[in-house]
Parts: sequence; structure tokens; C-alpha cells
Amino acid sequence: MSEVILSVKDLRASIDGKEILKGLNLEIKAGEVHAIMGRNGSGKSTFSKVLAGHPAYEVTGGDILYKGESILEKEPDERANEGIFLAFQYPIEIPGVSNLDFLRVAYNAKRKYHGEEEIDTFDFEDLVEEKLDVVKMNPSFLERSLNQGFSGGEKKRNEILQMALLEPSLSILDETDSGLDIDALRIVAEGVNQLATPENSSIVITHYQRLLNYIEPHFVHVMYDGQIVKTGTKELALELEERGYEFIDELVEVGA
Amino acid sequence: MSPLVSVKTETNTYLSKLLKQFASDSQSKNLKELRDRAKSLVESSRLPDKKDEEWQFTDLSELLEQDFQLAPVAEVSTQILEEYALLETRESRIVFVNGYYSPELSNISAIDATVYVGNLKGLDEARQAKIVNHLADEVGNEKLFAALNTSGLEDAAVIWAKANAIATIPIQILHLSAPEESTKFSQPRTIIVAEKSSNLQIVEKYGVAGDEYGKVPYLTNTVTQIWLEENARVNHTRVQKEALSCFHIAKTAVFQERDSHYTGNEISIGSKLYRHNIEVTQKGEQTETNLNGLVTISDKQLADTHSLVSLNLPHGTVNQLHKCIVSDRARAVFNGKILVPQKAQLTNATQLNRNLLLSPKARVNTKPELQITADDVKCAHGATISQLEEDEIFYLRSRGLKETDAKFLLIDAFAAEIIDRISIESLRKRLTQCVACKTVN
Amino acid sequence: MSSTTVKNLVNQPYKYGFVTDIETDTIPRGLNEDIIRLISAKKNEPEFMLEFRLKAYKQWQKMTEPKWPHVEYPPIDYQDIIYYSAPKQSKEKLNSLDEVDPAILETFEKLGIPLSEQKRLANVNVAVDAIFDSVSIGTTFKEKLGEAGVIFCSISEALQEHPELVKKYLGTVVPVGDNYFAALNSAVFSDGSFVFIPKGVECPMELSTYFRINNGDTGQFERTLIIAEEGAKVSYLEGCTAPMYDSNQLHAAVVELIALDNADIKYSTVQNWYAGDENGKGGIYNFVTKRGLCQGVNSKISWTQVETGSAITWKYPSCVLIGDNSVGEFYSIALTNNKQQADTGTKMIHIGKNTRSTIISKGISAGKSKNSYRGLVKMGPKADGARNYSQCDSMLIGDTAEANTFPYIQADNDRAKVEHEASTSKIGEDQLFYFAQRGISEEDAVSMLVSGFCKDVLNELPMEFAAEADKLLSLKLEGSVG
Repeated sequence: MSEVILSVKDLRASIDGKEILKGLNLEIKAGEVHAIMGRNGSGKSTFSKVLAGHPAYEVTGGDILYKGESILEKEPDERANEGIFLAFQYPIEIPGVSNLDFLRVAYNAKRKYHGEEEIDTFDFEDLVEEKLDVVKMNPSFLERSLNQGFSGGEKKRNEILQMALLEPSLSILDETDSGLDIDALRIVAEGVNQLATPENSSIVITHYQRLLNYIEPHFVHVMYDGQIVKTGTKELALELEERGYEFIDELVEVGA
Repeated sequence: MSPLVSVKTETNTYLSKLLKQFASDSQSKNLKELRDRAKSLVESSRLPDKKDEEWQFTDLSELLEQDFQLAPVAEVSTQILEEYALLETRESRIVFVNGYYSPELSNISAIDATVYVGNLKGLDEARQAKIVNHLADEVGNEKLFAALNTSGLEDAAVIWAKANAIATIPIQILHLSAPEESTKFSQPRTIIVAEKSSNLQIVEKYGVAGDEYGKVPYLTNTVTQIWLEENARVNHTRVQKEALSCFHIAKTAVFQERDSHYTGNEISIGSKLYRHNIEVTQKGEQTETNLNGLVTISDKQLADTHSLVSLNLPHGTVNQLHKCIVSDRARAVFNGKILVPQKAQLTNATQLNRNLLLSPKARVNTKPELQITADDVKCAHGATISQLEEDEIFYLRSRGLKETDAKFLLIDAFAAEIIDRISIESLRKRLTQCVACKTVN
Repeated sequence: MSSTTVKNLVNQPYKYGFVTDIETDTIPRGLNEDIIRLISAKKNEPEFMLEFRLKAYKQWQKMTEPKWPHVEYPPIDYQDIIYYSAPKQSKEKLNSLDEVDPAILETFEKLGIPLSEQKRLANVNVAVDAIFDSVSIGTTFKEKLGEAGVIFCSISEALQEHPELVKKYLGTVVPVGDNYFAALNSAVFSDGSFVFIPKGVECPMELSTYFRINNGDTGQFERTLIIAEEGAKVSYLEGCTAPMYDSNQLHAAVVELIALDNADIKYSTVQNWYAGDENGKGGIYNFVTKRGLCQGVNSKISWTQVETGSAITWKYPSCVLIGDNSVGEFYSIALTNNKQQADTGTKMIHIGKNTRSTIISKGISAGKSKNSYRGLVKMGPKADGARNYSQCDSMLIGDTAEANTFPYIQADNDRAKVEHEASTSKIGEDQLFYFAQRGISEEDAVSMLVSGFCKDVLNELPMEFAAEADKLLSLKLEGSVG
């Protein structure tokens, strides 16, 4: 049996005193891809931020075990260095900091954390150029300021490039597909598929079923009001698309 | 906004005279109600004049001198069509003449079932009902001419993409005017709906089925409404190449839900008086709007673009580049507003208006306007007015180019920045030629 | 809010806050005609200089302090300021730097500005004029510069050695009655630097002046005059520090630059006056008038400033572009923290044809500070083909700082091009979280964000100082996050 990467138990979290996650349970094993769907405000994005340790959210109950250990007390950078990667829905723009410098600092931060020697500029460039291919990015991207003036698709591809470089055990893709045209969507999805190994796992949060035509999830979860209310396979996503989120309302009512 | 004061004036009578020409026996009940509401709005309005801030530079008094009659159904030969049809849209185009649908001239054989391309009357009941209610309400701020259009609304061009439909070929909507001996007016209407995650490429073209230099004045009062649902993408090129005797008054209203992308390319070449109100409302997060404009005018033409983009939620993007090439005694007007309220944090907005004046009598009135109350945003705006540089022309001539060729090379470079953003090759070529014949005599 | 908010990033202790204990020659407090005559006499000035001062004083008396800057401070008692204070010297005139009071030499060494030429060997490309309170202590590398025909000395010395040059140019860029503080300066200025680069000479080294306020009751009123003749080229840098006092000291300087045909002047400032404590107590009032005249065709004046100190900064280095094709530039970083206030920017006055100007302003506000950019771009009726590009970016750190942008554009010529870009960004929770999620610590994140934000301006500083200025910025913001 493969290793359990993530185990979320009855997780509750709030922001500004308002409870958003209301007892969420989820277990993810190595090699698995889990999709989480749900309408706006169901708590999908909150869940991704809580996993990564965003300071604005307060965990009020339950636990998050990552590789068997609770990470609730860990700082966001510690979690990152231990292999939790969040591909942001809205990657921030940083003027004046080149993409290459940012990637190198991030890469070296991880090496330092694991007691490895930092890698020099030249070796790093070679390494990055290899990874560029994953997201079909042109080397000129590296010279530009981080995400500044990038199109939506370029920003998302850049997130996947970072993921390729940092080789996380758990990747969380927060609405990476939103606003992408079909070509960018394909590139991003192919990148994600290329990076999948039997050792790592990912959570794909999406608002649109279309992404799941390109990234095949093992499980599809539906979130509703801070909980996972239904779990199924890819067919569940298709059903959702067909019948709309009103379908969940019905589900929840039947359940109640 | 145009004033809606109820006064009996000359212009009021004028509008009533136009209204009286619309048939009162409209088909559906919904549509009738819609028309009646629009009518009463028009009846209580007057035509704006130069004292109205939004019409400061665009004088409509010439319009008042004309006695416009509603244009009848007209026949247009397929030969004329050759002039306007694009290679890429031979099997994906619909044609309207004087605002009336012409199935004979249309050809939609390359369109599959995921996209409806046709007229409003041909649309299924369910979708007709869905759209009719929005037709009057969602026309944006500048209401009078849109209401006048709605008052006579009987049919419209409709493009409707279902969820996840990816239209791989561009679709053309061709609105032709067929001028006659007496002064006529027509009121084309266009409706575009892009459902969730769909993708459309549209060319909306206004032209004349007759002499481009025709002397008989006519009025085209047109409204286009575009709805983009979540994650939808629409690339919309609007080309106006009416006869030089045309008054072309237009409204393009765009509504965008979250994650959607709208690109509007506005090309304006014809008409003696052109006024285009573009109004875009972003209604969801991470919405992107790109507005590109190219106006090429000469003689005594006037081309006025008023755009208004309202951002309402975080992570919105607006890029606007409006360019005008003005020669002879022509006048270009640009007024671009981008509203970034407190809620629209992390907005990225740029707006630039560049003008090239080719004669000493050519004029430009420009007012780029960014109204920002959010505090975490990136916004840039600017306006430039320039002439062809003597030095540059001299340099090219010293390399053996004739003066006209040298000038055109520079004008072409100025126009290319917009034309290159159009994805349809044959249209790009045609527009480049248009700019050439328009600017170099 | 959240468990770890971005706290106000606190000042590193001010390194330069010490006082040098020396005997001084100080005149009585207050300002009147006698004081002005006394200052002029002490400096043994030619008659025209005294007339210049008295004329300025008369104008100043009729003027009122400007109220339009976006800053607040209690009224200044101009009769409570000492207008002249100098270290006591054993001799009338010092022959070399070796004769300077060792305590003062030590002061400058402590500030990182060793004055002995031997010690400066490590940095042979920079000549320094060191100003201590009201007087110039000495100027290094004079001989070497002299060989090239460059005059670099204190303005007091210039009045003795080259009175005709001073008389010809002083007050031609900033007239005595230009504004309240310029008039005050013209009446009482004590010292400053004088630079003259003759026709066709490219100054062989960087010139720099280091200003030090030591006395707690003294105002510093320095006057700098730089003239670049036809085809001449010079790069000049000034740096400033002061001890920490509870009271405020007034610094009202005037800088005039004149560039003739094809001349090129680059003027850089790294200003780190004492800024007051976190409650806004003490600190320098930095009210400065800086203006450059691009008199000649193809001339160029470029201002670069890194403003990190002072309780209040009020300063608009400007360019008057008279010569056809002349170029004005303004690159600025203004960082405010705690209760600092800055109202700074530039004026680009386009008069000649095809004149061009560039404005890049980066404002960083942290703590409870106020930071405003105020800039004017004026296109005169004859400025055909003139162009301006302005970019004003503000960065807010935390939620209690204030940033404002006041761009003014006056275009009287429709063949001119004006472009303006502005952005406001934040270093807040979300930005830091993004870095943290990539494994990068908050301190590294802030330093990367700030350096990146300022990069366009730091690149404009002379190489020797760019790294130092970058360090200074992180130092000013370093401290506790979260």
C-alpha cells in the first residue's frame, strides 16, 4: 500500500471570526490526483490557503497531517520547504525582481533547509532551462520581472515551472485553469501530468469541469459550505457540469 | 448620460417623427413591451447638443437637417458581397441589409451545432425569452440612441456559443446599408452570447452596398450587446466602412463574468459622422478586457469614440490602445474612462491614446481618464499627438523612396500596431490597403 | 486581523547619531542685518556677496512660509536658530587637511568618509569636500583635479579665489527671492561646494560633498554651485548625516546647476539626515531648493536622489530645459518610516525644441509616515517635439502609512508628448505569503521586494554608491515582520 501523504481530519478554519471550513475530511495517498469542485464561496480556496499556512486564516479545530505529522504549528515557509506547494490562483507581480533570481532564491532556500549546499548561478541556469520545457516557456521569460506584465496564461505556466523546479510531494493547484484559453490550459495540464510520479500527489481545485478532460483525477470531491459532501470519480464532474451546482443543493437536501 | 428631461423642443419632435415610422404590430408580447418602454424613454428625451459634456465635440445639428425615412428591405447583388466577404468566413457569415436578415447572402455551412449563428427570429423560444429581457436593460449608460434602436426592434443578428464550444473559425456579421435616392435610416442590432468556457472570434462589419462616395445622407443607428459568461473568450473586431454620407451612431455594450476575456478591435474608416460608445462592465474577478482602436479619417470626417470600462472586483485587467490617423480637416475625438473603485483591488489598467496628424487643419480632442479609488493597483495612462517627422521622411527619401511611399511607410507602421492585433489574415491585408488609400493621395 | 500581521517595519538604530565634542566659534542666535554682515565679515567676502545677502534678506522678510506641501510641523522660530557655527581653528587658514582638528577627521572617518588622501586610495575615483556645520573642512584631490582644469572647492574658497565666476553664476538659476527657504539661504548661507568644469573637460573622477550637522542649535544653509561649460561632463554626489537630538534642526540648502552647450551634469544625493525617533521627536527639517539650467543645446542634467532621512523633506530638484534638444532626468527613491514626512518630486520645464525629460519616482512608506510625490511637467509654447515620460510608483508597507501622488501637467504646445504611469502596491500579508510559500523568509522577501521596486533608480547612481544605497534601504526597513 502506498504512503499516505495528506490526512485532513475534521478541519475547521475561520477568517476574521467567520467560519469557512466546517469539518473537512480528506486523505490522499502517494501517486493520487484529487480534484475538488464546488461553487464560489464553498471554501475551496480557503482550504488551499489553510494547507499552505496563510496567516489570515485561523484553524479552530481538527488537524492536518502531512506525511504522518501535524503541520498546524509550522510556518508557511517550513511547509513549503517540506514539500507542500501551492500554485496560486492569483500569482503576485513583483517588479524589478527577475524571474530567474526569484526561482534561484526559492530553490536555494529549499536546499538550505535540507542542509544541502546552495547551487551557483550557472548550474542553476542549466537546471532551469531543462525545466522550461515542461511548460513550453521561452528562456526570455527568466529575464523578465516576476509575473509582471505576464498574461494570465503565462503566470499560470510560471507557477507550474516553479512546481517543476521545487519537486513537491504535495501540489495544490488553486483554480489554475480559471481564465486560461484552451491552448494555455493544455500546456498547463500537460505540465502537471508530466510532473506526476508514484511518489507525489496533487490536489486540483477547479471551478470548471473542462480541466478534468486534461488532468485525469482518481477522485473528485464536491465541496459545499466548508465540507466535502460527495466523493466520486470523473463521472461526478461531468454530472456536475451537466446539471449545474443546483444538483449539489439537491444532494445536500436529500442527505439532510 | 443624455438628459432625459421632458421638454417639447424641436429635437423632441424630430425623435417622435422617427418613432412614428416603426410598425406597431410586433410579434412577441415580450418584444412589444420592450419596444414600448424604449419608446417612452425616447419620447421624453431630446437629442443631445454641444452643451452636453459627452457631446461637446460631436455636433448633431446636421442630423436635424435631414428627414430620415426608415429604410426598406433591399436586394443586394452577390457581387457586392465579394467586396466585403472574407476568405476565412466564406462558410461562416450572416448578412443583414438595412437591418433585415438576408438568408440568401448568408452562409453558415461551416458552423457546428455548438454555436448558433443566425437571426433572433430563428432562435429557439427558450433562448429568445432568456435574452429579450436583457436587451433593453443592459445597454449601458448612453441610452437615447440605444433606446431608439430598441423602439424599432424586430430582428437582430445572433451568435450564441454553448458552454465549452470552441469555434475554430471566425464568424462574420455583415451589416450593409443600401442607400437610395432619399435619406433613409436603418437600425441594425447584434446579440452575442458566449456561455461558460466558450471561445468565439467575430468580425462585425458595417459597409455600404453602393457608392462609397454617395451623396445622399443616411443614418445607421446600431447596437451590439455581448455577454460573456464565466471563463468565456470573445475576440471581436468591429469594422466601420460606411459611405462618406453616413451618420453612424453605435453602441457596443459588453458584460463580462469572472475569468472571461474580451478583446475588442474597433476599426473606423468611413462615415461623415461616427460616434461609438463602448461600455464594458466587469462583473467578476480576474476578468480581462482589451480594447484596441484604429481610426483613419480624412476630408471633413468626424470620428468620436467614447469608452467606459467599469471594474468592480479584484484582479481585473484592462488594456486600451486607441490610435487615430487624421488628415485634411477631419477631427478625431477620444474620451476613455476606466473606473477603478475601492473594491477593484489589484487592478492592472493601461490606457493610451496616440494620434497622428497629417495636416495642419486636422484636429484631435482627447481625454484619457482613469478614476481610481482602490489603493493596490497598477494603472498607466497617456496621450500623444504627433506629426510625421520631417527627419524620418528625409531619411527614407535619401534612401531612394518617393515622398508618398516614405510617408506611407511611416503611417503604416503607426497603424500596424493595431492591425497586427487582428487574428484574421485577409482582414489585416485589407485594412492595411484601406489605410493606404485613405491617407496617401 | 490575522495572527501574524505585517508589523510596522522598524528603524534600525541610527548609526550616525553621535556628537563630536569640539570647541566651536558660534555667533549669537537670531537673524537680522547685523548677523548677515557678521557672517559675511567672518568669511571675508567681497562686497557683491554682502549685497546679494542683504537683498535676499529684504525679500525674505516680505515672504511667508509655503503651506501647500503635504506635511505638518509646528511653527519654526527663525530667531531661535544659530546661523553660523564653525569648529575653532588655531590658524586663520589651514594649509592642508593635516591641520584639521583630529576630532573632526575622526568624525568623518567614523562616518565612512576618510579625508586623508592616503586612506582614500581604496577609492581613488572620488574627490570629497567635507562640510561640518557651517564650514568646509577640506577638499581632497584638489591638485589632481587642478591638473585637468577642474575647480572643486568650498564656495567660501571660491569667493576668495574665483569671485568673478561666483558673481557671474550665483543666483542665476535660483534667484534670491525664488521661494521662502531659498531667500533665507541666500541671506545666510555659510558654505557649500563649488564646481567648475571648463570647456571640453570630462571630470576625471567622481566629486562628492559630505554634509555633517553637529551642533544641535545650528541650522545648516549650504549653497552649491556647479557649472559645466561647453562639452564638459561631471558626476557629483552628496551625502548627509546628523546627530540625534530631541530638537529639530533646519537645513535649507540651495543647489544651482548650469549646463552650457553639450554639457552633462549628473547630481546624486544620498540623504540620511537624522529622521527623529519613532514618535516623531527630533530630526532634520530638510527644506531644499535644487534646480538645474540646461542652458545650452544638447545639454543634460540628471538628478538622482535616495532620500531616507530627515523628519520632513521638502524638495523638488528641477530642470529648466532651455537649450534645444536638452535633456532633464529625475530618478528618486524616497523612503519614509515611523512619523517621517516627505513631499518631494521635480519640475521639468520644457522651453526649447525637442527637449526631453524622464521622471522615475519610487516612494516607499512604512510606519505612520506620509510620502507624497509632487511633480510638474510644463510644455512651453515653443517646445515643439518635446517629450516627457513620468513613472510614479508607490509602495506601502503595512496599513498605517500614507502615499500620495500629485502630478501636474501644463501643456501649452500640442506637438509635445506627455506620458504618465502610476502604480501603487503593497507589501502586505499576501505578498509575503507568496514568498513564504516558495520557502523564502520574510526578511529576504522584504529586501527583494524593496530592491526590485527601487532597481530603476539604483541603477542610476554612480557604481560606488549604488550598493551602499541599496544596503541603506534594507537597513532602514530591516527589523521585525510578523
